[in-house]
Amino acid sequence: MAEKPEEILKLFSKSEELLEMFRKGRAFTEELMYENERLRYRIVQLEKEKMDLSGTLMREVERLRLENSQMAQKLDFLDGRYQEIEAENKDFAQRYVEVEEQNESLANLYVASYRLHSTLDPLEVVECIKEILVNMVGTEEFGLYVVDEESSELVLAGCEGEIAQRLERGRVAFGDGLEGMVAQSGEPFFTDDAGEGGEVCACIPLKIKERVVGVIAMYKLLPHKMGLSALDHKLLELLAGHAATALVSSKLYAVADRKLKTIEGFMSLLRVR
Amino acid sequence: MNNRSLLVVDDSATFRQLLRMSLTRLDGMKESTITEATDGEDALNKVRAGNFDLVLTDIRMPNMDGLEFVRRVRGELNKQDLPIIIISTKGADDDIELGMKIGASGYLSKPISMIRLRELVSGFLSQ
Repeated sequence: MAEKPEEILKLFSKSEELLEMFRKGRAFTEELMYENERLRYRIVQLEKEKMDLSGTLMREVERLRLENSQMAQKLDFLDGRYQEIEAENKDFAQRYVEVEEQNESLANLYVASYRLHSTLDPLEVVECIKEILVNMVGTEEFGLYVVDEESSELVLAGCEGEIAQRLERGRVAFGDGLEGMVAQSGEPFFTDDAGEGGEVCACIPLKIKERVVGVIAMYKLLPHKMGLSALDHKLLELLAGHAATALVSSKLYAVADRKLKTIEGFMSLLRVR
Repeated sequence: MNNRSLLVVDDSATFRQLLRMSLTRLDGMKESTITEATDGEDALNKVRAGNFDLVLTDIRMPNMDGLEFVRRVRGELNKQDLPIIIISTKGADDDIELGMKIGASGYLSKPISMIRLRELVSGFLSQ
């Protein structure tokens, strides 16, 4: 116990300090409690925000997942479409080539028939047939025979290469050899080989309706030509009909022209007398 | 390719007509002029007198063959830039090599493929 007033005063002063310290401690504690309250509130707020965000995120993920699956479906569709278009494109390219081949075929057929009927001179018709066989079909050696009605023989009217020239007298009897057999039967003959050894690779009758007026025998194709194509067959078919007509009509015209000139000469002689 | 001038050299009238028909069918070739020559000599005179964008020539021809024609166009007339396409029944590798060595710009074997002809002609005319 303090007995002296100074000690008592000192004791009071200390108790005052202690009180002040308690007061500050209390204020600090209250401040801490307030801060704690504020932070708890903030945590609640953040929790709520987190929940909201999590929901939004989940919804967004779901939306993106859906979008992704739709995109995948679209991609599959586009991929399929691309394959289809690619196939279509290939088909169009193929058809383009086919159409070009058809055009080529038509141009060849048109020119061949136009040329065959553009003259009434039998020699020019023969020359034209030769040009078609060389330039359009690609034949290296061939013989063009016309039927001699009186002797029932095939007479060589034009040729290219040595094989046809080897024929004795340039004549083949009906039924003799492949040329004669084709002339007799009226049926064409084709082999698949290119006739490298000089063998006959095609022999076609030139016909007006059922009447055979000649034969084209192809003995050898050009060395770089491997065989007869579909276009060649078409050309040869056309030749079979048009060359026959052109040959006969030009021959008839030549005969008629000769007769006309004879008659005209005779008439002019009569007029003179 | 409009208003181009082409020279077709072949002794076969049938083949000249076929080429004329095929060439006029090419895109933008309707307005083009196609001149015809029946042999190398005739063609040489036409090349000397005219100004052609492209020449298509056969090899086997009377008077002057296609190879001699090409040789003289490149040598005598000194026309190095004039494209000349040889179209011939001679289609062996040696023939093609000889034609190209002499100065031809392209080579086609008869019977010709129109698609190949179109590619070649369009290629030279678009240069």
